Amino acid sequence: MTLTSAVATAPRRQSRRGASFRDAGPPVALVVIFGIFAALSPQFRSVDNVQNIVDAAAVLAVVTSGITFVLMMGSIDLSAAGVMGASALTVSLLVANNRNDNDYGLLGIGAAVLLGCAFGCLSGLALVLLKVPSFMATLGVSAIGLGVATLMFAGVQPNITDTMLESWAIERFLGFSYLAWIAAACILVGWLIQRYTRLGRYAFAIGGAEEVLTLSGVRVKPYKVAVFTLAGAFYGLGGVMVTSQLGAGLVQAGDGYDFSAITAAVVGGTLLTGGRGGILHSAVGVLLVMVLTNGLVQVGVSPYWQGGVEGLIVVAAVAAAVIPQRRRNQVVK
Amino acid sequence: MKSSATIISLSLMAAVLAGCTEEAGGDNAAAESGSCESADVRLVGQVRNESNPYEASWLAGGDAFAQSVGLKQERLTYDGDSTKQQEQISQILAGDTKCLVMNVLPNGDSDTAPIVKGADSAGAYLVTQWNKPADLKPADHKTWLSHITYNGVESGQQIGDALATAIGGSGGIIALQGVLDTAAAKDRFAGLEASLAKNTGVKLLDQQAANFSRAEALTVTKTLLTKHGDNVKGIWAANDDMALGALEALQQAGKAGKVAVVGIDAVPDAVGAVQKGDMTATVSSDGTWQGGIGLAIGYCVATGKLKAADIAADNRAFFAKQFLVTKDNAAGFATPKTNPADFECANVFNRVAGPLT
Repeated sequence: MTLTSAVATAPRRQSRRGASFRDAGPPVALVVIFGIFAALSPQFRSVDNVQNIVDAAAVLAVVTSGITFVLMMGSIDLSAAGVMGASALTVSLLVANNRNDNDYGLLGIGAAVLLGCAFGCLSGLALVLLKVPSFMATLGVSAIGLGVATLMFAGVQPNITDTMLESWAIERFLGFSYLAWIAAACILVGWLIQRYTRLGRYAFAIGGAEEVLTLSGVRVKPYKVAVFTLAGAFYGLGGVMVTSQLGAGLVQAGDGYDFSAITAAVVGGTLLTGGRGGILHSAVGVLLVMVLTNGLVQVGVSPYWQGGVEGLIVVAAVAAAVIPQRRRNQVVK
Repeated sequence: MKSSATIISLSLMAAVLAGCTEEAGGDNAAAESGSCESADVRLVGQVRNESNPYEASWLAGGDAFAQSVGLKQERLTYDGDSTKQQEQISQILAGDTKCLVMNVLPNGDSDTAPIVKGADSAGAYLVTQWNKPADLKPADHKTWLSHITYNGVESGQQIGDALATAIGGSGGIIALQGVLDTAAAKDRFAGLEASLAKNTGVKLLDQQAANFSRAEALTVTKTLLTKHGDNVKGIWAANDDMALGALEALQQAGKAGKVAVVGIDAVPDAVGAVQKGDMTATVSSDGTWQGGIGLAIGYCVATGKLKAADIAADNRAFFAKQFLVTKDNAAGFATPKTNPADFECANVFNRVAGPLT
């Protein structure tokens, strides 16, 4: 047991060396980009707009929190879109809505999150038991999720009338919407899991050196399944939050979130190779991406240019963030 | 030993091939004469997916027509995947194509050519909608009976005008565009520009792409509302999903009811919003009619009630009539249903609004 924990903490200790310098990249990029936009546009630096950026970042932050654990482990997860779609339809059909007489409120929300867990668990089991690479396993689970969502959709869009769920997107506390606070809570919970639980520490260790961990007698499989299940819970909640924002359950609720979450995590300094980064890095990445999309609109960049400009800045930001690592002779794939 | 096996397999192959050509030839002959018994007609409706109300209503319209002639529609969905669409078409065409009628929504312009080619050589009656390359014309084909689409410039202008009226002829508006490289997005925006040229008091403050998505429209609208504040009097959206996203954004910004919103497509939620007065206007292409009409045209030709050669050139590729939905007439669009008279062989081209050039 002592050996196990020593091995488990080893990669973390290693990654901490020189952390201050390396981890500074994304936050510095965030401050610089924010500064540039603020200088260019008075509307951008208004309080209203900062609230707007934080509100808009809420869903992406929750989804990215989930995906970060998977990426830390060195796996990839493309199931967000499908899981969010299924969860969005589930929650919209379980809370008060225009399709049926259900009115389960919080229970319905809980069910949607649990469904997300189940989908995550499925991805994890396919990975460890059937040895399907996580890329394919999660892509498949995404398709299953979309299929389930389409079945529940059945041609008529469920609109929610549940006042509590609707209020999440509208009501504000200290200037920010409830959704933003929920996202903040998710980041906090994610950080606590990452920092203080065995699950979080093993996720890092699996990404850093899975062989070493296995050789020292740790059964990594249950932890892998648990990480995917945890990620699924975050996607499930993400689907609920989109439903709250849009006031309706959409099959397409999670469209694009899989790749924007991976982008945000990577921009924030979580490496696709695993073993690096973490929840707080990802949170910075999410803010960076949101500041960028919002800022380009605020300074009036033509929509025909935005996609390209955004991609260029993301690549530049990631390149700047990995400058300190370039000297370490790492192979980049 | 080896050579004899080769000979046998070669001759087998030759026999199979010969059989194929013979069969195909027979089909062609039947196709031209259009002498199918009503009960032998096979009706196929193909759309992207059933997870959006518009395409679901399309298939429902196809079912309604099929039922009216005592048949059943085969419903195909390809999840917006061009490869899957082609596979489904080849599968259908590999079966009995003698009295086959297909009403197809091609995924994109480039997907239409192989579908037309397949249907032509199998002698299957085909009606396509929305997407086709400009140089590919039904009139040059025997069994590609018609291509139906809608004038996006017209609908973009209609809602632009409705928006201008709603804000009293003067004030700032913002525009939410669709996927920028699609014809629908380009045409509809061109329509808005035409409307702006006419309504000189209306000023376009900003235009952003929200990719036809409700979620993206929500975020973009919130951003634009903080950028332009109370100057925004109206929101023009290139489809209803984006208009509904904009409505949510207005609600979250505490501006519900203070800004006029228009969209296109007449999805049920948007029609409901127009009825309640939350939205000013939308435009309906009548999805249930689209689902039925393609099958009806094919059915009429297959059973000989209509001759392909007699269809006027202007009816082989046309813009169909679309309807501006406002508070006054929204109730009629809230429960879309088909009118059997629209599908009678003498009336199938009644909704031609103009030839597609």
